[in-house]
Amino acid sequence: MKQLSYVISILLVASMVLFAGDSQKYGKEITLKETTKISTILEKPDSYDGKKVLVEGTVIGVCETRGCWIELSGDQPYEKIKVKVNDGEIVFPMEAKGKKAVVEGEVYSIVPEVQSECGSHKEGEKSSCSEEEKSTEEGCCSSGDKKVSKIYMIKGLGAVIE
Amino acid sequence: MKVRKTVRGLHRDFGYFFAFLVIIYSVSGIAVNHVNDWNPNYIIEKVRKDFTPYTDSTLVQEEIAAYIADQLGIKDSLNSLFLASEDEIDLFFQKVTVTANFREGKALVETVTSRPVIRLTNFLHLNVPKKLWTWIADFFALVLIYLAISGLFMLKGKNGFKGRGKWFFIGGVLLPIIIIILYY
Repeated sequence: MKQLSYVISILLVASMVLFAGDSQKYGKEITLKETTKISTILEKPDSYDGKKVLVEGTVIGVCETRGCWIELSGDQPYEKIKVKVNDGEIVFPMEAKGKKAVVEGEVYSIVPEVQSECGSHKEGEKSSCSEEEKSTEEGCCSSGDKKVSKIYMIKGLGAVIE
Repeated sequence: MKVRKTVRGLHRDFGYFFAFLVIIYSVSGIAVNHVNDWNPNYIIEKVRKDFTPYTDSTLVQEEIAAYIADQLGIKDSLNSLFLASEDEIDLFFQKVTVTANFREGKALVETVTSRPVIRLTNFLHLNVPKKLWTWIADFFALVLIYLAISGLFMLKGKNGFKGRGKWFFIGGVLLPIIIIILYY
């Protein structure tokens, strides 16, 4: 039994080594040939919204628990973009941090939810809220209609990490 | 009678063959079930360290990296770096990652260690290898269905399905239904 578990453990490790190699592929095969600079996307993100792109950069962040996103550094200082993948479809390892990656995916945007902040009414004054606030049971709440800038991300379909 | 013998024989042999895989999937199942409470693949240690702030006004990334590595006593080779802002830099060494505010002299040193056995079980359970493993895992799933159904009729008499077995079976059917009614 002990020997059998050793054999199976070796097989498991061997399969990992087999599937590893110098550069690791994730998800679908990359189909695009030309890369788009991350700085170009971030410069005019609206024009790339919904479009498929091939980007490259250094992996500077990895989702710790599920491996469901990575952050890629841009070609210009301080620039980065998040690549989100469907949970389980691609699992990025923590070891990817600091490595070069080429990612194919679709640019998309999200508008972060603004949580309304509520403060209690002044005693006996139900209509003491300011113009930007709404009077609710919880008190004066900021409407959440504040202008919020979109966040642009890439929905990762396939990736190669060196 | 011959069919029953074949069913029992297959149940027994599949049982032997897939016993280890059942354990692998179960261990991983428990591990990923609590993904919100712990990291099932890695042990991540984060240590805050202070160092003498970098005062040079020129932003030569390599120099900043070398300075921080020296200050923190990291002998590891640097793989890459990322200047996150005018004050912050991320350094990716072979074994550690450093996120530092070099103007304030504050750093977060992160060490990632793989959980040796559980990570391998997750690797298989979550079908990270894809390819051939997808088919093996599908076959394994079909065998589990076979084991479950054939197991119902393994025994005859008062301990068989027609005896007390059916009540346990009904209990097992009700359990997920109740959970769905309560939480779905």
